[in-house]
Amino acid sequence: MRMNRRTGALALMIFACAVLLAVTLAGELASEPAGVTDFTRKNLPPSLAHLFGTDWMGRDMLERTLAGLSLSIRIGVLTAALSGAVALVLGTASAVFGGWVDALISWLIDLVLGIPHILLMLLISIACGRGTLGVTAGVALTHWPSLARLVREEVLQLKEATFLRAARRLGVSGGDVFVHHLLPHLLPQFLTGLILQFPHAILHEAGVTFLGFGLSPEQPAIGIILEESMGYLAAGRWWLALFPGLALVGVVALFALAGERLRLLLTPATAQE
Amino acid sequence: MKRSALLVSFLTLFLLAGCRSSQPSPSGQPEQKMAVTVVMPPTSEPEAGFDPAFGWGAEEHVHEPLVQSTLTVTNPDLTIGYDLATDMQVSEDSLTWTVTIRDGVKFTDGTDLTAADVAFTYNTVKDTSSVNDFTMLEWAEAADETTVIFHMTRPFSIWPYTMAITGIVPQHAYDPASYGSSPVGSGRYMLKRWDRGEQIILEANPDYYGEKPKMERVNILFMEEDAAFLAARAGRADLVYTSAAYSDQNVDGFSLLSVQTVDNRGINLPDWNNPLTCEALVHHAINLGLDRQRMIDNVLNGYGTPAYSVCDGLPWYSEVNKVEYDRSGAKALLDRAGWLPGPDGIREKDGVRAALTIHYAAGDSVRQGLAAELANQLRELGIQADIKGVGWDTAYDDALSNPLVWGWGAHTPMELYNIYHIAPDNDSALYSPYANQIVDELMDEALACSDLEESYVLWQQAQEEIARDVPWVWLVNVDHLYWVRDGLAVAEQKIHPHGHGWSIVNNVDQWSWE
Repeated sequence: MRMNRRTGALALMIFACAVLLAVTLAGELASEPAGVTDFTRKNLPPSLAHLFGTDWMGRDMLERTLAGLSLSIRIGVLTAALSGAVALVLGTASAVFGGWVDALISWLIDLVLGIPHILLMLLISIACGRGTLGVTAGVALTHWPSLARLVREEVLQLKEATFLRAARRLGVSGGDVFVHHLLPHLLPQFLTGLILQFPHAILHEAGVTFLGFGLSPEQPAIGIILEESMGYLAAGRWWLALFPGLALVGVVALFALAGERLRLLLTPATAQE
Repeated sequence: MKRSALLVSFLTLFLLAGCRSSQPSPSGQPEQKMAVTVVMPPTSEPEAGFDPAFGWGAEEHVHEPLVQSTLTVTNPDLTIGYDLATDMQVSEDSLTWTVTIRDGVKFTDGTDLTAADVAFTYNTVKDTSSVNDFTMLEWAEAADETTVIFHMTRPFSIWPYTMAITGIVPQHAYDPASYGSSPVGSGRYMLKRWDRGEQIILEANPDYYGEKPKMERVNILFMEEDAAFLAARAGRADLVYTSAAYSDQNVDGFSLLSVQTVDNRGINLPDWNNPLTCEALVHHAINLGLDRQRMIDNVLNGYGTPAYSVCDGLPWYSEVNKVEYDRSGAKALLDRAGWLPGPDGIREKDGVRAALTIHYAAGDSVRQGLAAELANQLRELGIQADIKGVGWDTAYDDALSNPLVWGWGAHTPMELYNIYHIAPDNDSALYSPYANQIVDELMDEALACSDLEESYVLWQQAQEEIARDVPWVWLVNVDHLYWVRDGLAVAEQKIHPHGHGWSIVNNVDQWSWE
């Protein structure tokens, strides 16, 4: 049976989401054993007993990788959701109120976009005391501007739409207009933008942590794993970086895949293909 | 485009991880037999240059200043010998030190080194040094060309150890703004070139008053640990620092040199602010119940020695610190203290669980490994131990209520004082809550002693008193490891202090090629 593009996209999206969910749950289960150190099995290359090998403290790298991915996904989802909420509120407010509110928010967007991304993230993370809070705040507070700009453009367009003007003329309140008429039209673009934030957020969490300004070293984060592995590559312990690195790329690719398929399904031009 | 970039990155990663050069590069052979290239960690590069006022030789990681002479030196057994000094007398009240110095010593600019230069150096470091404590010195004066007198604010019997790390600078050529990068001294070597962030080149001082250095040129490169290892593999250096993580590797044409150290790692057990560690019996139980050799084998690949004090093997060390590992004895002590095993094996007392969080400096894999191994061993005693990596910005405050993995080990008994003596304007020692009046009195007495040898005995008595409380538990002394090119004879090393940098080249003048 041949699938049409819509069914194919749906299947791929479900597949990506299922894998991500499975990785998150597996990582949750692995987070306890991932921290267990057993020096009798240190520095073992990949084998059937330890598929990803072990590190210099005898920690199983598969368990650490799963726990790290799970942590990355959870932080990625949380930060994307937070930055999405900020973007939705500010983008909508900017378009709806116009005037000085629009000018102020547009200025804020330009300001945040104008500061080098990674630098701002590091500064926010340090200011918030690093750790989970620092990374979450750092990533969340730097990822909203482009989405906010998108929301603003969309709302500006929708504001002039005939059905909205008609609703207002008929006396529908501002809140009702927003919830019943604006939001349903805004949602597809917003959701797609939001999901495409996930891979960015995950990579940036790993990046900030890799540079030593993020999660604490005893947490099984991918950034920590990769940073630690750098010192051992010259000694030939390639498995410490390769598998966690590939796994991170895989998760990011899956999120990108899911976001792209969702966009295909929700965009009117491609939704019916 | 993105995919191809990704592919290239991964190929590079593979190459980096897997490449092994089977032969050292021929170009890596020393050009001249009297030159040596040494690789040190980037942290060993002296930020403020070669100025003793800014810590050269006398920072946390003490070493001989090489480009300057010192009045005294530490002998291989860490007793005191003479360099510039020919005689040293201390007054009965221990408040005046009279030091006679060699005649005929010249700085590398050809001028004579006199007692006035010595007095100038000490008065300068007293006024400007932000790195070292010179508050015990009131002022220094030159009585004549070869006699310098130190007037002290308080008795300080271990003053010769301070004199062993303070390089003498010339009064006429000292400008604090430029001396660090263009030092003039009278030591065994002269600074020939300094490319910041890369290398330092030292050349033998032709007018040196002592034995002519065998190594005429010393190149010092600064590299991270992995780059240093690759430099050894490529044959680009003759002596390269390394760590236990690389000790199982083979480098053609090189062998591994392991140097004994007092570069110890230990934890503080806060005497108050923590419900578990406030009990002396718990301190003793932890001290007794740790298998230090297992720590060395597991974390240091066997390259270390068990540590029982902050000064193992030094003249002021007391054997009373040594304990024999006894796990069942440790458990019995915990039972006696009322910490009894709960249903999950973790001990409890009055509803409080025996739990600790051991902090360590984030990014230091040895300390992290030791903290993890320590936690494993504590769990076997029935103490729940978690580990947490912290930055040094918060570590000192954290250590007031939680054990922290520290690294110490200096060539002066002052370290005992700094760790165990009540700090000025405080009711406790500086780094971890602890106070013992008898210990303080013995140490004060040791400092007031007019005879250095006698003072060692008092430092040892203070340790006997400390051993009753065990406010710190010492774990291991970390051996300093180096890849040494075959044919390079590295002169015998005195016990290295904390810091894996300049100590190795303390006697580079005596190294030779076979």
